Parts: sequence; C-alpha cells; structure tokens
Amino acid sequence: MTAAIPQPSRTYDLSFARWVRENVKGGDKMNLCMQCGVCAGSCPIGDEMDNGPRKTFMMVRAGMKEEVLSSSTLWNCTSCYRCYVRCPRGIPVTSIIQGLAAVAAKEGYAPKQKVENYYFSKAFWWSAEKFGKTDERLVTMKYFFSFGLSEGIKRALDNLKIALGMVKAGRMHIGLPHTIKNKSQLKAIVAKAKELEQKG
Amino acid sequence: MSEKMKFTYYPGCSSEATGRHLDESTRAVFPELGIEVQDIEDWNCCGASIGHIGGGPLPQLALNARNLANAKKNGNEHVFTSCAACYLNTHGSNLTIREDEKKREQANEALKAGGMDAYEGDLKVHHAMEVLVNFVGMDKIAERATNKLEGLKVAGWVGCQTVRPFAETDDGGNYDTYEEPHFLDDITKACGAEAVDYEPKTNCCGGSVAVMKPEKTLHLMKLLLEEAEKAGADVISTPCPLCQTNLEMYQEAINKKYGTNFNIPVVFPQQLMAVAFGMDPQKDAALHRNTIRAEKLEKMAKK
Repeated sequence: MTAAIPQPSRTYDLSFARWVRENVKGGDKMNLCMQCGVCAGSCPIGDEMDNGPRKTFMMVRAGMKEEVLSSSTLWNCTSCYRCYVRCPRGIPVTSIIQGLAAVAAKEGYAPKQKVENYYFSKAFWWSAEKFGKTDERLVTMKYFFSFGLSEGIKRALDNLKIALGMVKAGRMHIGLPHTIKNKSQLKAIVAKAKELEQKG
Repeated sequence: MSEKMKFTYYPGCSSEATGRHLDESTRAVFPELGIEVQDIEDWNCCGASIGHIGGGPLPQLALNARNLANAKKNGNEHVFTSCAACYLNTHGSNLTIREDEKKREQANEALKAGGMDAYEGDLKVHHAMEVLVNFVGMDKIAERATNKLEGLKVAGWVGCQTVRPFAETDDGGNYDTYEEPHFLDDITKACGAEAVDYEPKTNCCGGSVAVMKPEKTLHLMKLLLEEAEKAGADVISTPCPLCQTNLEMYQEAINKKYGTNFNIPVVFPQQLMAVAFGMDPQKDAALHRNTIRAEKLEKMAKK
C-alpha cells in the first residue's frame, strides 16, 4: 500500500520573516539559526517561557506572527545575554527577542495579557521621559498600581519592609524627583525620535 | 601612570538612590588610581533593559545620543560608567551611531530637534571594571592597597552585562571572558583578601524581572547565596548595582520561601578597594548604605 501524500495544513508565509529581517535589530542574522537550542538551554528562566528563543525563531520563519507576538517568551527575558554570546552562529539572540517584544508592545499584543514586563516598562519610560531620570520609588509604585488599586496596595505593603530598609540606608530618595535641567530639550529630542520611528 | 588621566563619568539613575554606595565609592577610589572623574553635564536615563518596550528602540537610542553628545563637550576621549545597564546602553548606542548610517542620521535629527550638535560615535565608552583592567592595572591597585584585607573571604560575582555582550570584543577592550572572567577575583586579591572559588560567577539574578516579579527569580538568587555560603565567603562582591540591590533585598524573602537563614553582605569591589586603600568607611566606602552590613569588612576599615 502506498502511503497517502501528506497534505500540509499550513502554507509557509515568509512575509513576517522578511519583515523581521528588515525591521528588528539583529533580524538580518536570524536566517543563520541552525536550531541547535544552545540559546534556550542557556536561559536562566527559560521555564517561564512558552516557546523559548530557538522555537520562536522557527515560528518566525513559519510566518506565525500572532503566536510569536502573543508569546510569553518575549516578556521573560532578563537581558543576561548568555544566549547572545553562546550562539555558535553569532546571532544576537537577546536583541532579536527584545526587538520582537518592542514590536508586540507597539502592535498592542502585550496589554491584553497583563504582562508585568510591559507595565514595568511603561512606568519606567514615564519617569525617564517626564523627569529625564528614573525615580525608582515612583516607577515601582506606578508599576504596582497598574494592576489595580487593591493589588497595588497589596504589593506596596509586601515591599514596605524593604522600602524602609532602603530609606534608612539613604538609598531611597525622599522628596521631589531628581530631574535633569533641560527637560524641554529632552522632550523635543524624544518627540522627534518617536516621529522618526513611526515613519520607519 | 604618574599624571592623572581624565575620564568623563556617567553616574546613571541608580547613583542617586539604590546604588548611591557604588557612586560614592567609585568617586572615592578612581582618583586614587590616577583617574580623574568628570561628570557628563546634565546626564539623563539610558532606558535600561526595558526602554525599548516602554518608549521604542529609536527613542531609547535618542536618550543615549543626548548623553553622548553632552559627554563630547567635556573634551575627553574616554567615557566610563559603573552601572552594567548604563554601560550596555551607552556603549551599544555609541557603536550603533558609529556603524549604522541610518540610525546615526535619525539620532542626529532627534538631537537637532533639541538644539544639539550632531554626534558621530567617536567617543570611547568603557565599563568601570574595564578601566581598572586596561588603564589602571592590578599592580597599581595592589600598590595603593596599604590596608590589606587579610582574612576576608570574598565570593566574586560578576553577573551579566558587565561582561556580556562586550567583554570579548575589540570595542569592549577585550578585558576578560564571558564565561570565566577573573578580573573581579584579581581585584579582591589586589586588596589583600582571599578570592574563594565561586561557581555561579556569571549567573543572572533575574535583573529587572526580579524587581517586577521576584517569585520568578528567587531560585536563581538562592543558588547564588548557597554557593557563597558553601565556599565560606564573608561577603559577595559584585560590580553591578542591580545585582547588589536584588541579592541584598530579597534575602529575607528567600529565607521565608525556602526555610533558609541567609544573611550575607553584598558589596561592590569599589567598596573593598576604599577600605583597602585606608579610606573613610562611610564617606568613601559608603559601608553604612548596605542594608546587610558587612561587619567583618567594617572592622578592617581605618577609623
């Protein structure tokens, strides 16, 4: 008996891979991936990721845009760069995962899932843009309360003892936030950069 | 080096809060080693490891371009920072501006919108540890360390971004390896202390994920503490401000979760040097800012 000719359920669509190649930092090296898995095996919290970098790269090649951009892999990178330096093909793995995370945030994939990294990044950027500096205290509070009032209060109380220890050691700033002098200049620079990024 | 070398210094946001003791000890120690420290005028945040998500890759590049353009005004060839994330972003952005024509044009268009001169990527950006290895040298540290830290056992924990992904590159000064860096133990030894064998030398603590969701990374930090304890370390030394804060502030949560009893001080190599140089334990070594006090090290300090 002759086996039936397989009928692939999915047609490979390279348009997403091409887009990543041209728009994500390091994406031009992704075609070098030989699926060895050193990246995934080197990840300190790979257990928190659904797919990991190796599989993510294959999914990009397979055109699985939705699955890639809504994956937990993008939101659990600690930026340790172990995968980046160990990749035997010299692929900047960390940069690509981070670049995909930036795309997912921009395209609206992250907020629906209550992704910690997304909220933390937004709180962090708020401070960087508004004051020119990160106010660790305000960023943390803004982040805690992005999960709602009761969760915010709970998280704040959970961390109260740590905060008091930091205050005692003079490592938590009290009073108005530290700011840069020329805030209007920074504002103009960031606004222009955002405009250029939109244009592509 | 008899004459002082001028370096432009980028303190970074943690220098004004959780990493004050890193900033204070850096400012104390570097001039003693012939490095004159000049701050970047009106420096801003680098965007750390998450600015690309919060603001986007190009706005993050623009933040760093502003710092570099301001650094250029100091007239020094070299810039350094003690913070791992600041180094990653400032150095990485500098290379992008130098090598990627399109990004350079975009960054300069953004700078222009703020009334700033164009920046071409011609400064050299270093990590504080690379400056110690490539510009100062261990002999100089050993020579200056008149108050040797005899009997202090130190676990050298390098962490991630201080060496990855630039330590083995030409632009990163080829100052050590990614997997088995030895500079931190060399500094410990130059201070007269003992560098214990420490297997997880380049392990990650979880970085910003530890801050936003500690539950995901407590096991990583538990291993770092366990191995230090096994090696009989009195203190853990790390060059990274986020590593230092994470490993210090989560010890109680780790003890609660795992039924352990850790109380290990985590210090910066700059703090070790300040004590070994016989400098002031508070003003220079900033030992009072560690929430788990390094009592054995404090006892060694010249009063």
